[in-house]
Amino acid sequence: MRNSWKVAKWEIKRNLKSKSFLISLFLTPIIFAIFATVPTLLSDSGEDHDSEPAQTTVYLNDEIGIWDQLEPMVSKGGDLHWDVELTDQSSVEMTATLEEETQSVYIHLDESALESGKVDYYTSEEVPDSFQYEVQLFEQPLRYVQLERTGLDESEIQSAMIPISFNQNEVTMEAGDDVGEEQAQGVEAFLEKFVPGVFAGLVLFSIAITGMMVFQSASEEKKEKVAEIILSSVTAGELMQGKIIGYFVLGILQVTVWIGMALPVALALVDYPIIQYLLVPETLLFLLIAVLGYLMFASIFVGLGATLEDSSSGSNFQGFVFMIPWLPFIFMGPVISNPESTLSQVLSYVPFTSPGIMILRLSILDEWPWLQILISIVILIVSIWLLMKLAGKIFRIGILIYGKNATLPEIWKWLRS
Amino acid sequence: MNEVLSVKGLGKSFKDTRVVKNIDFDVHKGEIMAILGPNGAGKSTTIRSIMGILLPDEGSVTFHNHAEEGVPRHKIGYLPEERGLYKKVKVMDILLYFAELKDYPLDRAKERALEYLKKFDLEGKENVSVDELSKGMGQKVQFIGSVIHEPELLILDEPFSGLDPVSQEVFKQEIKDLAKKGTAILLSSHQMNLVEEMCDRLFLIHRGQKVIYGSMDEVKEQYANFKCTIHGDNDRSMLEKIDQVERVEQKDDISILYLSSDVVISDWIKQLPSTLDIQELSVDRISLHEIFVDIATDRSLAQEAGVVDAK
Repeated sequence: MRNSWKVAKWEIKRNLKSKSFLISLFLTPIIFAIFATVPTLLSDSGEDHDSEPAQTTVYLNDEIGIWDQLEPMVSKGGDLHWDVELTDQSSVEMTATLEEETQSVYIHLDESALESGKVDYYTSEEVPDSFQYEVQLFEQPLRYVQLERTGLDESEIQSAMIPISFNQNEVTMEAGDDVGEEQAQGVEAFLEKFVPGVFAGLVLFSIAITGMMVFQSASEEKKEKVAEIILSSVTAGELMQGKIIGYFVLGILQVTVWIGMALPVALALVDYPIIQYLLVPETLLFLLIAVLGYLMFASIFVGLGATLEDSSSGSNFQGFVFMIPWLPFIFMGPVISNPESTLSQVLSYVPFTSPGIMILRLSILDEWPWLQILISIVILIVSIWLLMKLAGKIFRIGILIYGKNATLPEIWKWLRS
Repeated sequence: MNEVLSVKGLGKSFKDTRVVKNIDFDVHKGEIMAILGPNGAGKSTTIRSIMGILLPDEGSVTFHNHAEEGVPRHKIGYLPEERGLYKKVKVMDILLYFAELKDYPLDRAKERALEYLKKFDLEGKENVSVDELSKGMGQKVQFIGSVIHEPELLILDEPFSGLDPVSQEVFKQEIKDLAKKGTAILLSSHQMNLVEEMCDRLFLIHRGQKVIYGSMDEVKEQYANFKCTIHGDNDRSMLEKIDQVERVEQKDDISILYLSSDVVISDWIKQLPSTLDIQELSVDRISLHEIFVDIATDRSLAQEAGVVDAK
């Protein structure tokens, strides 16, 4: 163990002194920030350009006479970008105009429309899709006129026009009597798990990247032929462990720096007390899962690295192994939409997807399935133990094979030896 | 003699091929012991088995002076055949890392590193990045790395490969000095001429098996018989009739007479027939190089000349 720690210390020191590591350490969050903000900025500025010509010309043939009521609302602006022109032309006459113009609408409000409850409107090209919702504006005044004609008085019409809405109130075991309070608690409870989940996801992401660095480091050891010199001082197992520990520390360091850079920004942008949500016992479980995930990927990668001298010439098999940490992303959609489904549960028990999927599910689920958590952690620990043994075998032999990449049958033979 | 390392009955197979078998030898304190053999003879396999990097299928490797099981890594310096250095680190950093791995005190290591850099004409390079070094400089740094912790036993696998003659001399001198100071040295090589001058004992290996083992003088006495080279126009049949001549090789005006092992040169020269045409005459031993080349090419000169003719 002392030797492993020496190797780990060396790997840490070597990376901290290398420019490329430092650059990526500080540049990654900046790049992330750029990717996150630039498209929004661009689309914002795009909208600013469009906002003036986005006016829709509305030709209104108002035979009923409700425009007077509506005019203040429309001309006040708000969400509507309408340029209303009153007209008394019929739809046939307007056709020519509409054919020539773009973003123009002709609406005819007459008695028959009122009776049948159907209002026809004619559009030219380039009328935004949102117009079909905007045109609902006419519904209430028309309905009012309709009801008025049936002879109801003002108060009757008012009560007839109150829309009926349906509110969902979920009854859970801890549900309190006070609905409002319960909802507020829901948001908080959600954030309470979600914030640690995001944190753990970040940790997992970062250590999946450092897992790749473990791969590179093992491959480099082989390529630069230092391995045998090192192996005259430490055992292959110690060298492997040292690398895994060293890059783990680097990964944690990376997360710390990233969070150190991201947290002030997040605090400035969001009102919720994020730090308070982060410092909950749940975070520890999330971290445990993330660490287990790292250990698993790192052992896979360290073994893989020992089989490859030149990562660019890896075969399909090795390329496939590289995809393993990203497997949970494929299943993200189905798991988010139903975190309790059979698929979600099965994926929590598959070692390769388990860390990512568990973190995802636990961030969404209100009620934690403790038994499932326990089973999946046990499965993870067992598979880590197994993978480490296998990686150790591959590493021990692979790291000393010079000048070629190992093939799958060869690796298989080493595993069985 | 004080034994540091003993190898007994070592054997190793890869797949179904026996790479080495029945390897027995010792390395003593303060001596240079050479494992010699052509490429692929099993030198590196033997050395890797000693280092515990490969697990031998059979036989034992004993490190004397060490009671505990396993390889006493801190007491061994090892320069593998396939060697390199991390690229983007400073020379001093990597040397200190090697020393740290051996649990050698770092301040002492730093002193020794500077001393050696100076000795190897690399003074002032301690803060240079490894990837800026030439290949020869890199080899010197690797060598320093293998001796920085004052090992009891130094194992060098092909230490001279890829070195220019000047650096070869520097290495040779340093290895001799280390031996004089009491380090046991085991080195492998296929460059016989280099090794012949420096090693005390040798183990010649071919196709994974022992061919010759003994001290340099013994080996020379036993295998390297005398040969007499004569420049002059002589008839082959006449040369063959001379006493104690086992074999004659002729090329143009040069005849080489291989003499039997029990020849006494002074007596033998006296009885040479006066009819011989001698422009030049030299008597010397068959060099290790010749024995080595013959073994490598399966001509088995040593056997022809020395022991019994196999044919």
